[in-house]
Amino acid sequence: MTSMATASIAVHPVRSGPAHWLQSYVHMTRWELGSLRLLLPLIVALQIVIGGGFALGIGLFFDEMPVRNALFLATGVAVVTLITVGIVMGPQLVSNHKVAGTYDFLWSLPVPRTTQAAAWLTVNTIIAIPGMVAALFIADWRYDLTLQVSPAIVPAVLLTIGTATLIGYAFAHAIPKPMITNMITQLLIFVILGFSPINFPPENLPGWLAAVNEWLPFQHMAAVIRAALTEGLVDNVGRSYVVLVVYTAISALVAAWVIGRRD
Amino acid sequence: MIAAVEGEVVTGRLESEGDWRFHARTVTKAFGDLLANDGITLQIRPGEVYGLLGPNGAGKTTLVKQIIGLLKPSSGELTLGPYDLIEDPDAARQLCSYLPQAQMPIDSFKARDVIRLTGMIRGGESGAVTARTNEMIEALDIGEWAETLGIKLSGGVKRLVGFAMVSVWPGRVVILDEPTNDVDPRRRRLLWEQVRRLGDLGSAVLLVTHNVLEAEKSVDRLAIINEGRLIAEGTPSSLKAEDRGRLRLQLMMVPGHPTPELPDFVQHHTRVGNNVMNVISEADATVGIGWAQELMARGVAEEYALGATTLEDVYIRLTGHTSSNGNATL
Repeated sequence: MTSMATASIAVHPVRSGPAHWLQSYVHMTRWELGSLRLLLPLIVALQIVIGGGFALGIGLFFDEMPVRNALFLATGVAVVTLITVGIVMGPQLVSNHKVAGTYDFLWSLPVPRTTQAAAWLTVNTIIAIPGMVAALFIADWRYDLTLQVSPAIVPAVLLTIGTATLIGYAFAHAIPKPMITNMITQLLIFVILGFSPINFPPENLPGWLAAVNEWLPFQHMAAVIRAALTEGLVDNVGRSYVVLVVYTAISALVAAWVIGRRD
Repeated sequence: MIAAVEGEVVTGRLESEGDWRFHARTVTKAFGDLLANDGITLQIRPGEVYGLLGPNGAGKTTLVKQIIGLLKPSSGELTLGPYDLIEDPDAARQLCSYLPQAQMPIDSFKARDVIRLTGMIRGGESGAVTARTNEMIEALDIGEWAETLGIKLSGGVKRLVGFAMVSVWPGRVVILDEPTNDVDPRRRRLLWEQVRRLGDLGSAVLLVTHNVLEAEKSVDRLAIINEGRLIAEGTPSSLKAEDRGRLRLQLMMVPGHPTPELPDFVQHHTRVGNNVMNVISEADATVGIGWAQELMARGVAEEYALGATTLEDVYIRLTGHTSSNGNATL
């Protein structure tokens, strides 16, 4: 075996290019999935409980929920599960790495940093989807709804997870103190759940807050997912897609900058 | 034997021959007003095990983090063969493997799997990585934990797995930051054998430690860093040359007792806790013992030990600090 290792050291090249990127991405996805193996069942279960619990819990505010509200709620809860994975859980996992001091090793691995971000995004997507599906099923059953699933659900879900995950990833890496990161995630989820029109229509908000939300990604996440699951509830999702694509692109750039910089 | 994927673009000109020395030239790293590294210059040849010694906060980890591209020097050069490691951190990460001082993030992995996966990430070809993984597991005698999850491993075994991860498909420079922390004495020896093997395989090994006694036995050359500056460099015996003809007279004081007045034959001394370490000339051995016995008779000291000076004494003289097991020599 010695000869093999000797050979590798002697001719070990510095690799680059798309094939290297792809291979590194596959390895890093295996790494990320492997790292979460112990937590994965728990995280997915938690997502299902959060999504399902939300869907059932909000129903308690109503004696009988009107169908329109129920549809808003069911689709909104699906969005909430995706956002919480990207903006709350993702950054907290990053914080755990920082607290444990394990980033030095991960950042020293001989792969393009962008493959690590891409692997992270992939794993977040895998984690987020069961919770979303469970939330939809539970809401469907509880409120006796009929959802009209269209193929647009695929880009809608991917864009929503992509934006949420990359925003979370960027700020978790940009902020040096893990405790601050955790405080921000708490604040964000509070603001998102309470003051973004995800589980209710934008008209319910005061004018100024509705105007602010026009420029934040959360209501648009809800719009594209709602449009892909219902008919006649939302119109003009074109703008929402544009806003989300812009947010995804900007957060990807910021994330790439944050993980690429050296102090 | 390399993991060349079809269509892969090889940018490096990597012949097995050529000058693959690692150079740091006047590397300076400032954090605000603090100079963590101050003009550090050193070179390591392929096959060499090079120790970087210094007390906590001396700037050792700062230096290695710059080599691996986690930090950027304020000024200076870091090169490996034809590569500029500062300009090209991607190349730095591919050419250097790094075992940080912190534990590895391997809780959810089985030891064998994670060693192998790291080898693949480092660009090894599947079959060869599997073979090297088995070889490392055997060489470090961690076979009984090969299928155990990281979370169930003791700190020492985890450290050995971490070492195997960075050594399974080593870079041209292998940086080991306190590799033997928590490792039991027998496996420590196995680990040092493997460190030597890395050198034999052609890697330059940069060993960061404050464990002077261990380093003395394992390194070809070493540098001592203190307060960001490289204050001494050479082979262990060249650094000890100045202390040739001297002995170490170590006194264990009665707890809390102040350091007694030192006779003229004590050339220098250091106190750590209740331990007073004195360096004396060989010619003064008899009077030294007499003095130590008198201190014991007066109830000032509890015991004494007389022995050859070690690299530890050089280290103490140069840095004013004892190393991590400064007391273990008593």
